[in-house]
Amino acid sequence: MIEVKNISKSFNNNHVLKNVSADFVPGKISMVIGKSGSGKTVLLKSVIGLHTPDEGEIFFDKREFTKANMKFKRQIRQEIGMVFQGGALFTSSNIEDNIRFPLDLFTNMTKTEKKKRVDFCLERVNMEDSNKLFPAEISGGMQKRVSIARAIVLNPKYLFCDEPNSGLDPQTAILIDRLIKEITAEYNTTTIVNTHDMNSVIEIADNIYFIHEGQKWWEGGRDDIFYSDNKELNDFVFASDLYKKIKALAK
Amino acid sequence: MKMFTIIGKYFVLMGNVFTKPVRPSIFFKRVLDEIEQIGVDSLWIVAIVSIFMGAVLTLQVAINFEAPYIPKYLIGLSARDTMILEFSSTIICLILAGKVGSNIASEIGTMRITEQIDALEIMGVNSAGYLILPKMIAAFLTFPVLNILSIILGIFGGYAVASFTDTVMVYDYLYGLNYAFVPFYVTYSLIKICVFSLIITSVSSFYGYYTYGGALEVGQSSTKAVVYSIILILLFNLILTQLLLT
Ligand SMILES: Nc1ncnc2c1ncn2[C@@H]1O[C@H](COP(=O)(O)OP(=O)(O)OP(=O)(O)O)[C@@H](O)[C@H]1O
Ligand SMILES: [Mg+2]
Repeated sequence: MIEVKNISKSFNNNHVLKNVSADFVPGKISMVIGKSGSGKTVLLKSVIGLHTPDEGEIFFDKREFTKANMKFKRQIRQEIGMVFQGGALFTSSNIEDNIRFPLDLFTNMTKTEKKKRVDFCLERVNMEDSNKLFPAEISGGMQKRVSIARAIVLNPKYLFCDEPNSGLDPQTAILIDRLIKEITAEYNTTTIVNTHDMNSVIEIADNIYFIHEGQKWWEGGRDDIFYSDNKELNDFVFASDLYKKIKALAK
Repeated sequence: MKMFTIIGKYFVLMGNVFTKPVRPSIFFKRVLDEIEQIGVDSLWIVAIVSIFMGAVLTLQVAINFEAPYIPKYLIGLSARDTMILEFSSTIICLILAGKVGSNIASEIGTMRITEQIDALEIMGVNSAGYLILPKMIAAFLTFPVLNILSIILGIFGGYAVASFTDTVMVYDYLYGLNYAFVPFYVTYSLIKICVFSLIITSVSSFYGYYTYGGALEVGQSSTKAVVYSIILILLFNLILTQLLLT
């Protein structure tokens, strides 16, 4: 479980996060939603320590993280898998090397065991047989999938995904969503997903955190989201005609 | 004030560079990769520049020493000492600051803006130690080799001039090469290039590592890396010469 307690973060005079608290529980998918620029990425990066919050505390299974020393942070980070918004694959290595890298760093597996694990992860994201390609040789969506494969290769306890299915076609997007759901259930990971895709929310979210202007504006379950009377949340959720129609039908 | 912040940041980064790196096996492979990129890939430019400069130096000195009362062996001697004292270390490093320095800054800068450095950090890797230390070690090991190579090829360039033109006799040139040779000059040159190798790699890594923004900023970091490497090389050249030769 990850406990986020009252974190704030500003860049110069831009107050991006204001007093955000949340408890992210294992075995569930916590989805952080909000408009572009609302602070989702900053929240995620603050939780894992890529940004240092100005105020507040973060606990990974009761272990204080924000003020911990670098050595301890690195230890905790070995339990984290992260899918960056842009993929962040190592451009100088091929796909196989990208995914194998965490294994090289932190396991004592043999070469064949590693190869098996890499192939397994690639298969899970439907990217088998692309081992020897370089990141520049595959499409943006494929890079995202490889990035997910790399994030899960060590069976992380905590999985962070920053818009894992943006830029993907609806079919692949659903595939990725389901994959995240499977992994979360299978390994009891504490999963946090940033998205502005309502389809993903409906597909896989267990708990939803709506960020608006840097604050946690609303929090609730997947079913609550359609019945809330929070104006900003409704504006976000029912932005498209499709969802407006669904809402009308539901009534 | 701003300069002190930059210097402070630089030393904090160096502190991180020298803390525990990744597993020895991975680290060793990183060093080998960098030796190829930084050292081996610089061989050709060092070779070409050294041969031509050795040749031109010899020609110029020969032309200017026309007067009969100047002994001809001074041509070989001056070619040798210029190559050893300044060219093979300082000038070669000014050239390498352009080639290696800009390369390092843009490589690390691109990794920064595409979040590859963040990805390393999230995996629990000390990104500074993983990316920068192998570069510094590789340069520290290979630049002295380039230095010696440059001296040899420069002197060979002069020898070629002696052989193929009649500005200086081969015999005079060879006599000059052996005349009043100070072995310490080679040591001095090696010490200098070792220091310069660390300047180029660490300064360029520093500017790459602290790139924020996009492709434009990567270009700017790369330029800064080259400019400040050159300034520091010139400054340390002065300091080291004062310390070692006077
Ligand atoms: N490193 C940074 N330095 C300064 N400002 C930043 C930095 N990172 C983010 N910001 C600012 O924080 C705000 C929130 O950005 P963030 O990337 O978290 O948005 P987001 O919700 O992830 O949006 P998107 O859905 O487009 O990814 C923006 O106004 C941005 O300008
Ligand atoms: Mg974002």
